[in-house]
Amino acid sequence: MHKLLNQKPVVLVMTALLLLGLFLLPILVTSPTLMQIFILVILYAYFTSTWNFVGGFAGVLPLGHSAFVGIGAYTSTVLLQTYGLSPWFGMLAGGLLAALVGVIIGLPTLKLRGAYFALATIAVGEGIRVLVENVKEIGPFKINGPSGISIGLSENSFTALQFDTKAPYYYIILIMLILVLLLTYFMMNSKIGYYLAAGGEEPEAAEALGIKVSRYKVIAMAISCFLTALGGTFYAQLILYFYPKSILGLDMSYEIAFIALIGGRGTILGPILGALLLRPVSELTRIYIGDMLPGLHLVIFGLILIIVMRYYPKGLVEPVTHILNKYVIRRFSKTDDLKTNSAADKAD
Amino acid sequence: MLGIIEALINGLLMGSIYGLTAVGLTLIFGVMKVINFAHGSILMVGMFAAYWFVILTGWNPYLAIPVVVPFLYLFGYYMQSFIIKPIFEAEKDVREPITVIIVTTGIWYVLDNLALMIFGAEFRVAKTSVTGQIFEFYEMYFLVPKVIGAGITIVCAIYLYWFLKHSKTGKAIRATSLDREAASLMGVKQSKIYNIAFGLGSACCGMAACVLVPFYYVYPTVGVPFDIKAFIIVVLGGLGSIPGAILGGIIIGIIENVGAQFMAATWTELLLYGVFLFVLLVKPSGLFGLKQDF
Repeated sequence: MHKLLNQKPVVLVMTALLLLGLFLLPILVTSPTLMQIFILVILYAYFTSTWNFVGGFAGVLPLGHSAFVGIGAYTSTVLLQTYGLSPWFGMLAGGLLAALVGVIIGLPTLKLRGAYFALATIAVGEGIRVLVENVKEIGPFKINGPSGISIGLSENSFTALQFDTKAPYYYIILIMLILVLLLTYFMMNSKIGYYLAAGGEEPEAAEALGIKVSRYKVIAMAISCFLTALGGTFYAQLILYFYPKSILGLDMSYEIAFIALIGGRGTILGPILGALLLRPVSELTRIYIGDMLPGLHLVIFGLILIIVMRYYPKGLVEPVTHILNKYVIRRFSKTDDLKTNSAADKAD
Repeated sequence: MLGIIEALINGLLMGSIYGLTAVGLTLIFGVMKVINFAHGSILMVGMFAAYWFVILTGWNPYLAIPVVVPFLYLFGYYMQSFIIKPIFEAEKDVREPITVIIVTTGIWYVLDNLALMIFGAEFRVAKTSVTGQIFEFYEMYFLVPKVIGAGITIVCAIYLYWFLKHSKTGKAIRATSLDREAASLMGVKQSKIYNIAFGLGSACCGMAACVLVPFYYVYPTVGVPFDIKAFIIVVLGGLGSIPGAILGGIIIGIIENVGAQFMAATWTELLLYGVFLFVLLVKPSGLFGLKQDF
């Protein structure tokens, strides 16, 4: 923890101001549409950060993460509708189920070349979607096939995870995001994080040093799937109606992966940057020109992705941190810091 | 019984067309070690090209082949040399260039949604002279365009196999896929081979597109189901193997068609994913895969 706080004063002040601003935002913004966009930005930053555990640190390319969003959403919803169980317990159940599915996919495929893993995640994601579309009920649980589930309105309370204003949703997802980012930070600086970094770059070399790379990749996969499913439950409670194509489709999987890749995979800030850039593009084009030109926001996504990969293969986080370092952090740091800064820059 | 034989033959016909798209994918993978996620979108481009050719000229749909196939060859060739090459160069020492995979995904999104913006989401059918014609054989019925398509496909695959085995360019392609460094030491120009491989892979899609148009719907996301089937096929046949891709395609076609005799069509889709995961678990190198490739 002390390592986390052991930053330059200007970085701490900036982070504190940013957090303060984020927590005060619902007081300043009253429009529910705008609040919804903020919530979705944070939710996608959350999904992308959880994707990052396997897509960023384990050095593979998962392209079926909507499966875990869907598992989270469906599990908590059917438990709520069948047994009246609070979505908070459903969230936990969904997370555990998603982790189990993640381990089942990961065990055989994470040992192989990355291409196999990418293809297997697509196949599992699509397979789960087709399965859900074909099944009306599993035992006592009604999942209604392609028509989806709508969650009935109940009293507004924390236990029911349903509110009539947007602010509580905003605070819940913000806190979830901050917790996941802290977890990401600790993982990056832990043994697992180091093993994964070594295994992602040079699996053979890491194996030769006695690191069981695939085992740590499977652990990362389980953590990632668990956390993604928690977000899925939140998403279900936020939108209250979902169907397989909306929550289990390839589009959502790709959007999560694209945000991470454009922002910068394997970094803490990347997912946030990506979500800040792409979510508003997607929401605004859908609201204002979606009727005239369907698919425009996806063309923009694709183009941004191609251009960013061409010039900043490590994602936008690279130029942004460079600018921050050069113009903000140095200017507000003491002069003796400058030397260590430039030395650190050279070492990079 | 006759129904099952009919389904078996229909699966064989459709499967060989799936096989041809998978051949393109596996060829590109063999040379560049990149899964081309834009493959289905290239097929979609080919289908729209063939569709407009048929609609505008009103000629026999198979006359589109000499136009669409070279067009797609150039499309793939220049897509590789302008968009993919600069990114590939930056990552060429990496065993598996993930950034390139990501860029092909970006190309998929751009192409599919551009098509959606330009042509709209409706399903189009090209009414050609062979559309809807049926061929009867011992009380079993087959679509004429499917039979012609499968025939053309098999001829193409055999020609491609011969080309890779015996022509000079083909040998250079195979040398590059076995060992990049050694091939370039022998004077094989890498970037050119990548362009050609991408062009040939796209041309396979062009051929498949021309034979599909007379009996298949054309719409902006038509590539996605073919793409996902091609992924399953190349893993089943072994990434990088051309006979594997054809055989894998036929197996998938047969599973799909015979499966449809016993269950709803949507369930056969699930069956395909099941087969895919089973292959990954039991024999990830597929039927003909090279050991070094997984």
